[in-house]
Amino acid sequence: MLAAAVVTAALLAVALVAAFAGGGSSGVTYLDGNDTAVLYASGHRPLAPEFSSTTLAGTPMRLSSYRGQVVVLNFWGSWCPPCRAEAPALAAVARHYQPGGVSFLGVDERDSQASAEAFVRNFGVAYPSVSDPSQVIALDFSAVVPLAGTPTTLVIDPSGHIAGAVFESATYSELAAILAKVTGKGG
Amino acid sequence: MTDVRAPETDPFDAAAEPDDPSRPGPASPAGGAFGLAGWLKWAWRQLTSMRIALVLLFLLALGSVPGSMLPQQGNNPSGVQQYFVSHPALAPWLNHLGLFNVFGAPWFAAIYLLLFVSLVGCVVPRTFRLAGSARTLPPRAPRHLARLPRSAEYATALPPAEAGIWVSAEKGYLREAGNLLFHLALLGVLVSVALGGLFGYKADRLLVQGTTFADTASALDEFHPGRLVTAADLAPFTITLNKFDASYIASGSQRGQPAAFDAQIGYTEQPGGPARTGHLEVNRPLSIDGATVYLIGHGYAPRFKVTDARGQVVYDAPTPFIAGTTGNFMSEGVVKVPDARPEQLGFTGVFVPTAVDVGGTLESVFPAADNPVVSLIAYAGNLGTNDGVSQSVYQLDTSGMQRLTTSPQVLQQGQSLKLPGGQGTITFTGYVPWVSLAITHDPGQLPALICGIAALGGLLLSFMIRRRRVFVRARSGENGTTVQVGGLARTDASGGFEAEFASLAAELRAACQQGRHPQREAE
Repeated sequence: MLAAAVVTAALLAVALVAAFAGGGSSGVTYLDGNDTAVLYASGHRPLAPEFSSTTLAGTPMRLSSYRGQVVVLNFWGSWCPPCRAEAPALAAVARHYQPGGVSFLGVDERDSQASAEAFVRNFGVAYPSVSDPSQVIALDFSAVVPLAGTPTTLVIDPSGHIAGAVFESATYSELAAILAKVTGKGG
Repeated sequence: MTDVRAPETDPFDAAAEPDDPSRPGPASPAGGAFGLAGWLKWAWRQLTSMRIALVLLFLLALGSVPGSMLPQQGNNPSGVQQYFVSHPALAPWLNHLGLFNVFGAPWFAAIYLLLFVSLVGCVVPRTFRLAGSARTLPPRAPRHLARLPRSAEYATALPPAEAGIWVSAEKGYLREAGNLLFHLALLGVLVSVALGGLFGYKADRLLVQGTTFADTASALDEFHPGRLVTAADLAPFTITLNKFDASYIASGSQRGQPAAFDAQIGYTEQPGGPARTGHLEVNRPLSIDGATVYLIGHGYAPRFKVTDARGQVVYDAPTPFIAGTTGNFMSEGVVKVPDARPEQLGFTGVFVPTAVDVGGTLESVFPAADNPVVSLIAYAGNLGTNDGVSQSVYQLDTSGMQRLTTSPQVLQQGQSLKLPGGQGTITFTGYVPWVSLAITHDPGQLPALICGIAALGGLLLSFMIRRRRVFVRARSGENGTTVQVGGLARTDASGGFEAEFASLAAELRAACQQGRHPQREAE
């Protein structure tokens, strides 16, 4: 009986430790361990949810209008330091890959129009961004990929499936590696 | 339920034991030939004793005191910083002891884990014992019934063959059932709490009037998932703050105290789902798709428009300011303009809802925005936002910045401040309220409530129902047969047993005198 009690107590204690330790964690859970740059094998690529919004310039925009092209979709905000840190690398990737047919689209998260426009001017972002002040687009995408924060960069294949992702500040080499796989062309 | 036992069954009842037997074994392992196992057994008995549980419970209450006296990192990080500034010598020591994060401190965890182990270790064996005790038949009748607290004796003309037999009976088994229910329910409460910690989550979000947020990890200011919860488990609702009204008592000694808060919200349960409207008030949360949304705070977000040296609008947004401790919603905040050129701009500010000038110092005399002004200090330089390190939106790191204005500049609504050196302009264009929402999901809540009620019910049963025993013994004497009746209540709560016993004894006597045998009748 004592042994049974000890086992029960130990089990409950473990459960409780786990429960309370969970409450104190940083709050972000990555399903893919510590790897922040992810490549999805074909057949395992989640379908990117469709969205329609307006760009910062006021033009209506749908994701499905990019069908048939590889799209780099970058979630960013002018208020977010990691987004500001990755902005020069992202602009450089865009300059290198846009002529080869890769499209780039930004999703501006929880931002004001004035701040977003100033950011785009400042970093010389040469591709459009849609406004997502309420983060509904992020919500839709979080249902298919573990999108847990800003910035996140997704690479969508011509069939509209998510082929790769960087779940934090992206570097040139990470994006180049993903694009090389998805476009089938070397970096 | 009444159990009646006749002598045909085993007269010696090994399972019969006192209500709360003193545990076997020595009080301390000292002085005996005790090995490691003996010490462990002793430690386990100590830990699971009621005394230690009470001590731990007291320590838990004591440990929570600093949690409510000192600002806590989790719910009031700015308060902690203020404390560090105002108590530079004491604060680092308190921090070492974990007193700014009491409920996450290892020593606090040690107390509650020990308490839980103590409770479980006490409750589980007790549950088994109670289960056994609830099934136990009453013991055989004692030899000398006259020594029992209640007894009666009468002579009868029963035939001698029937003499020498005894009957023992017991009533009030529901008491043990109640006891059992209480202990099981107590375990249920523990499991429910664990369930909530594993599968529940807590999140916070500040929402400015007129804006919408989607319940996704990247849109939450704070997200504390349980061990087995991921961001994908969040309920995919959206909430829009249409309007927030706060009213305050305008006169009397209660002047400035809040009278009512009302947040009018619109929401959808899924993106693209039907739009609904609702109200959030303090202590009147809204349930959306398994999550509960509470209104936990509010404040003002002054709206600023900033143009840089080139004349371009680089900032135009409401900026949430947080009410400080000085009262009447005197609120502090920071405006960061990372894309101003040639240099980044930053402002620290104070929003004063109803401002009066008291000897050259601004004070707020009422929490409503009757005469709103802001007081700003401007900086230019490097905000530190471009090197990728996340920073608080409520703090300005001025280490790489140069102060542009020597004294704080006070602006009324619509007024502008021209920055020196042609660095730009900041305009205070208005203000909107914001609310702070807590989003929680606790699957253990309902089971905990049910178990709590069951525990209370069990406790009531065990308090109100008396367990009592009555024995009858017939002896052959010289003048016929003497019947002895004895009874005792097994608990202190024996009120009413005297009357019950007396009426039972009288009934037995009457039955015997009429020549009937009560046991026969029972068959």
